[in-house]
Amino acid sequence: MKPRFIALCLMGALCLAGTVLCTACSSLGVKPWQRDLLSRRDMQPGGSRLDDAIDEHMYFSKEASSGGRSFGGGGCGCN
Amino acid sequence: MQLESGGVNLRGKLIAASCALLGSAPVAHAQTHDVVDTINRALADWQLDGAVAYYHENGRIQAVEPVINAGHELANGGQLDFNFTFDALSGSSPNGALTSRQVQTFASPSAKSFAQARHLYTTGSGSLPVDPNYSDARVAGGAGWTVPLSRLMRATLGGKFSYEDDFYSATVSAGLERDFNDKNTTVSVGVNSENDFLQPIGGAPAPRSDYTLFEKGGHETKHGLGVLAGVTQVMSRNWITLANVSVDRFSGYLNDPYKIVSIVDASGSPAGYVYENRPDSRTRRSVYWENRVGWAQGSVTADARYMTDNWGIRSETAELRLRWWLPGRDQYLEPSARWYRQNAADFFHPWIADSAPVPADLSADFRLAAFHALTYGFKYGCKLTDHLGRFGRDTTEFNIRLEYYEQSLRGNPAAPAASSGLDLYPKLQAFLLQVGFSY
Repeated sequence: MKPRFIALCLMGALCLAGTVLCTACSSLGVKPWQRDLLSRRDMQPGGSRLDDAIDEHMYFSKEASSGGRSFGGGGCGCN
Repeated sequence: MQLESGGVNLRGKLIAASCALLGSAPVAHAQTHDVVDTINRALADWQLDGAVAYYHENGRIQAVEPVINAGHELANGGQLDFNFTFDALSGSSPNGALTSRQVQTFASPSAKSFAQARHLYTTGSGSLPVDPNYSDARVAGGAGWTVPLSRLMRATLGGKFSYEDDFYSATVSAGLERDFNDKNTTVSVGVNSENDFLQPIGGAPAPRSDYTLFEKGGHETKHGLGVLAGVTQVMSRNWITLANVSVDRFSGYLNDPYKIVSIVDASGSPAGYVYENRPDSRTRRSVYWENRVGWAQGSVTADARYMTDNWGIRSETAELRLRWWLPGRDQYLEPSARWYRQNAADFFHPWIADSAPVPADLSADFRLAAFHALTYGFKYGCKLTDHLGRFGRDTTEFNIRLEYYEQSLRGNPAAPAASSGLDLYPKLQAFLLQVGFSY
């Protein structure tokens, strides 16, 4: 699969997500009492911060790309 | 609180009754109970995560990395976060030179000449040139402060530092988050600034200079500035999605001061080496998308990233993680897989011919080559709670994680005739073992 095609797919998905967010926010989401599953740690972005940090450091030192998830990577002379 | 107090009394009675039945001293149990309760109370608003990771590459680097994160919930709804990392690395690091049928001799980075080199190392015929005396240690720490500005808006401030023998780094960051739509939508934006100071062992080599002339200077600096914007949306009771876009720009000394490039003569044999030179600025753009879908027994996390930069590198990453709770919900299994692919930087040259001028920018660093990588991981976690309900937090757990990483070059970069039949670009294989604890 061509990288540009993948990029286009990602951009398309983002545009779709943006459209959904802009036009249908009121129909998305849950009420406060429906957050039982969402409050679990494995359902929260950044819920595995320590694993992510160790992985990010490994990938930062072995690959040309890093970050994207947050302000990760950097601060290391290994790359 | 009444229920908890009642629970404590009940637990005390149960302990006393058990001890009496067993004929052991109840005092010791009561003291243990008090200690546990004291710890629970002292850490009531804290979330602690700690781990030790061991990383091992086939015939190259190995590292031990203890990490600890601490989060403290403030009474005003804010949050303080602290993290600390220590790395100890040792082993063999590729120096960039091309594998050859000839024996090749190199000097340690601290050398001012071959005659005065502290270490000379020799690479045998058909072997990848690596510096076998590589070692480094890193200490890094950081802190973050989340400040509620209103019921729906928060500001975040952060800073981190990193120290190595030859590298110092300081980063500051600031961000804003705003909730919408009954807190089902969160929009965030942040900036960070990183300042690095490099003091390579033996001095920073003059870019593109002849390796045998030891033209080395003093220290160098680089500076980075990044912006990240993201949207998190609760889609349904069991689905949350997150999308980020980010841009960052680094400028200054972006070379690896320990990497060289082989010069090959007409016969294909090494005729010399020059130090690498990369462009003095780099701008990266990335798009990241993450989805989490959960149900009673587990959850799936799927994320993808596309990144591109002005060095000609494009990369795609996809990652999938499944968490599966075993019956009783006190143990889980978490298999994961990651796929990564990048193409080569415009200035990646695994070697250059002595008949042509040395390019303005060049590097033989494998990390700038075209390759793909796969990671397979498996994690096991179990909640640490006893039958008396102590360590009664949902987040208290022990976990162990094993990952296997494999990196293979894509395509077949041109090889000198004299090197045909040699494995010029050996596969990188590594594994990571991590033991962790959360409270």
